[in-house]
Amino acid sequence: MSNASQENGDTDDLEALFDSIALANTDSPPTAPIQAATKVAEPAPVADAGTPCNNEKVFSQLGQMTRSLHDSLRELGYDKALESAASSIPDTRDRLNYIATMTEQAADRALNATEIAKPIQEKLSTEAIALSQQWQRLFDKQLGVEQFKDLVTQTRDYLNRVPQQTQATNAQLMEIMMAQDFQDLTGQVIKKIIDVAQQIERQLIQLLVETTPPAKMTEVNTGLLNGPVIQGEGRGDVVTNQAQVDDFLDSLGF
Amino acid sequence: MADKNMKFLVVDDFSTMRRIVRNLLKELGFNNADEAEDGVAALTKLRNGNFQFVVSDWNMPNMTGLELLKAIRADANLKHLPVLMVTAEAKKENIVEAAQNGASGYVVKPFTAATLEEKLNKIFEKLNM
Repeated sequence: MSNASQENGDTDDLEALFDSIALANTDSPPTAPIQAATKVAEPAPVADAGTPCNNEKVFSQLGQMTRSLHDSLRELGYDKALESAASSIPDTRDRLNYIATMTEQAADRALNATEIAKPIQEKLSTEAIALSQQWQRLFDKQLGVEQFKDLVTQTRDYLNRVPQQTQATNAQLMEIMMAQDFQDLTGQVIKKIIDVAQQIERQLIQLLVETTPPAKMTEVNTGLLNGPVIQGEGRGDVVTNQAQVDDFLDSLGF
Repeated sequence: MADKNMKFLVVDDFSTMRRIVRNLLKELGFNNADEAEDGVAALTKLRNGNFQFVVSDWNMPNMTGLELLKAIRADANLKHLPVLMVTAEAKKENIVEAAQNGASGYVVKPFTAATLEEKLNKIFEKLNM
């Protein structure tokens, strides 16, 4: 099998496995797929809000949130199974480093490619200009026969060399293009980190809502111009956008 | 010899990846490609246009590549379409699921033009394209 596929985590065994299943499938309808084990971190369930200032309830809520956060972090790649996978995604705490590294590598690749391509372009241009000047001399009747023959040979040589040079430049352009693939991987990581951060915020808000003393709660209600009323029962998703969160926190004095 | 005018649909939620795949296809001589950013959009385009090949990412919001694959195979007008699944990791479970649900092939990211060509040719040969 080709080396190209083996460089990126693909293996002959996997290909063979795929082929054998695909072959067995050609006449029969697909069987029920194997359920890949996925851990989906659920936000902490909303506990019954009786009296908001119950220490035990807060403690339990915090515990649930921490568990939820921990599970999310594990899902992000901290998990051993993912770590041992073919790609070299590091563990969760290095995720941001990973992004920095990948973007740096991509920048390096792109810069290297431009540095290689630039001289090729320049040489192509300089030689063309030189030849062009000679041809101008020809048209100005300044070239002898021997010089003319030389010019013709040089020009033909140049033309023969051009495709090679442009191909070399094209290869560098392709390299620059391929170097952009980091965006996909880093983009996914960034998305996940944002999701986790939003989840934490949501849960903290929820906790805050549930533990707000009744006196303050009325202030909060009238302070908010738009958006849903925040109820004492602490429904999980009532404060949903950033503006509402800002208003809510402001009105509580934070 | 595969028809160079073949119409491809490239499905991925990241526009950079879609661009890269389209450029790779162009490099291989296939200049006729369209894009979709998720499975739902992809299905709509497939049902309305004359596509001959689908290249789809695995992880996408709204409808994953696997769900798209199943939907294609379940649609009488689309089930014949070759579907190449693009996956970020060569995990056995993914490969098995892809195969069992009728993927025509898979390719692991990041891939080069050479790898893509090899995988495409494999599918062309299998389907006598």
